[in-house]
Amino acid sequence: MNGPNMTDVVLLLPELILVGMALMLILGARRIQQSPWAMAGTVLAALAAAVASVWLVSWGDATKTGFGDAPMMIVDGYSQFFKVLIAIALALVALLSQRRIDAEQVRPAEYMALLLLASTGMMFSASALDLLTLYLGLELTTLCSYILVGITVQKKTSNEAAIKYFLLGSFASAILLYGIALAYGVTGTTNFEAIASAISENGLGSNKILLAAIGLLTAGLAFKIAAFPFHAWAPDAYQGASAPVAAFLAAASKAAGLAALGRVCLVAFAPQAHVLSVVLTGLAALSIIAGSIMAIAQTDMKRLLAYSSIAHVGYALLGFISATSAEASATMTDQGASATMTYSFLYVFMTLGAFGVVVALGERGERLDGYRGLATQRPGIAMLMLLFLLSLTGIPPTAGFVAKFVVILSVVRAGHTWLAVLAVVCSVVTAFVYLRVVVLMYMKEPEAPAPARFPLTVSAAIAVAALVTLIGGILPGILTHFTVGP
Amino acid sequence: MNEYIGIAVAFFLAGGIAGTMVVLASIMGKKKPSAVKSEPFECGQAPFSLPGGKLAIRFYLIAILFILFDVELVFLYPWAVIYRELGMPGLVEMGIFLGILMVGYLYAWDNGALKWQ
Repeated sequence: MNGPNMTDVVLLLPELILVGMALMLILGARRIQQSPWAMAGTVLAALAAAVASVWLVSWGDATKTGFGDAPMMIVDGYSQFFKVLIAIALALVALLSQRRIDAEQVRPAEYMALLLLASTGMMFSASALDLLTLYLGLELTTLCSYILVGITVQKKTSNEAAIKYFLLGSFASAILLYGIALAYGVTGTTNFEAIASAISENGLGSNKILLAAIGLLTAGLAFKIAAFPFHAWAPDAYQGASAPVAAFLAAASKAAGLAALGRVCLVAFAPQAHVLSVVLTGLAALSIIAGSIMAIAQTDMKRLLAYSSIAHVGYALLGFISATSAEASATMTDQGASATMTYSFLYVFMTLGAFGVVVALGERGERLDGYRGLATQRPGIAMLMLLFLLSLTGIPPTAGFVAKFVVILSVVRAGHTWLAVLAVVCSVVTAFVYLRVVVLMYMKEPEAPAPARFPLTVSAAIAVAALVTLIGGILPGILTHFTVGP
Repeated sequence: MNEYIGIAVAFFLAGGIAGTMVVLASIMGKKKPSAVKSEPFECGQAPFSLPGGKLAIRFYLIAILFILFDVELVFLYPWAVIYRELGMPGLVEMGIFLGILMVGYLYAWDNGALKWQ
């Protein structure tokens, strides 16, 4: 029996920081009445976790595994990249939430503790090297997300959204678990690397049950990232949830889901890449088409952003498609994974920025009509919204252009020209969706009174998002040092 | 196969006779429905409330808390069985686990989930 290896525990440092802060908040839940303290604690913990994540990958060997001979966790450039991203998203969402949760009479300590625990789960799934660790991380994330969606108990839409999300989410978890069970049944292990070697050594390539396992696993994970046709929960959940919670779901939980999906596709089922490539191509193409087209008809801003996030996840998957293509060499796999990582990073900031403006405008920001004449009333905020919308559309020199450029380039390199054409055509469709908001802001007369000054926390979060959206668009090279595939 | 034919015949006869009687009774029998006849039968007692009445939400809260801590404590049994092999590290690990569980318990207590008002 081996005792607790201290290096194993050190590998968990970012997660431990978040859990520690969450436990403190839970203990003091009744006494912490002031949201600024809870918010400050959460932001500090998130930043400490980000620093710890960077430190772990810069210390000693870049790739470290922990917990047992068939390791359950891995710390490498890939996992730490996503952990830093999740930590920053957590900090920004905490900043965005502070005033809003006070207005909605949500107790700050519990809310922040749930955000922290959900982020912990996301970090776990980014680090998972075992199907059960992966499941555990995703479950922790989704359980906290259900409560976060329904945390505004007085709002009926919020309750409805939480119930819908919970029901569909439980099914998805069951499907994922069934996939894990089948994968274990065929290969005799839940460790990613052992699964890969079992498949190639025992020639399980055409095993029907293995194919079913892969299908169920990708379906379960596609639900977590809300890819079409497993997207149905997202618009309802985002619409019913408080705007900062919707921002958190759209940004951080998608990044974590993509991280998990990447490791499952590129490590565990690497010998089955040709099958995964087909499945992912279907998911990506359908998500891009459905997300873009359904966003056109929306009049609720959060629903619109939900459909836009479905389309964006399709774009993000393009990188993984080229990474799993039949004739992919090792460098191409790396380039594909790196494209998805770049996309997720930039997407998180632009979507957080757009949701930040929605949060800042309050009730008015939730309806599409609320954006009428915003430019004459508050030119500064209209300008920022314009920046985020242009970035979501993918127009240079914003980050969105770079993000779309790298993923489309990677599928062209992989030989899927039709997918690239589809992606570009749907970009034009989404341009209509986003530019409609711009037209409302700049070319219509205002109907509502000018919004009040934004709280400093919200402005700070939007400013960070805007800064990254600009810098990511002008100097994308900074990012490429850090995007290393699993 | 032959030895089973008798059983089959018995089944068909029994089923046929019973079925015929039920069908004939429902077609030809007289029907006089009354309020007393359509009451649910409760051992001769007059029923005093509708089934599926209201139940205080506190029961659910207590039940959920019970299940929560009960399920967590399942981990203590295998731990206790191999306690000697695990030694000191095992004790520390279980201490941390129970500590985190305690935080949840204190939260429930602190927020009045255990009070029966």
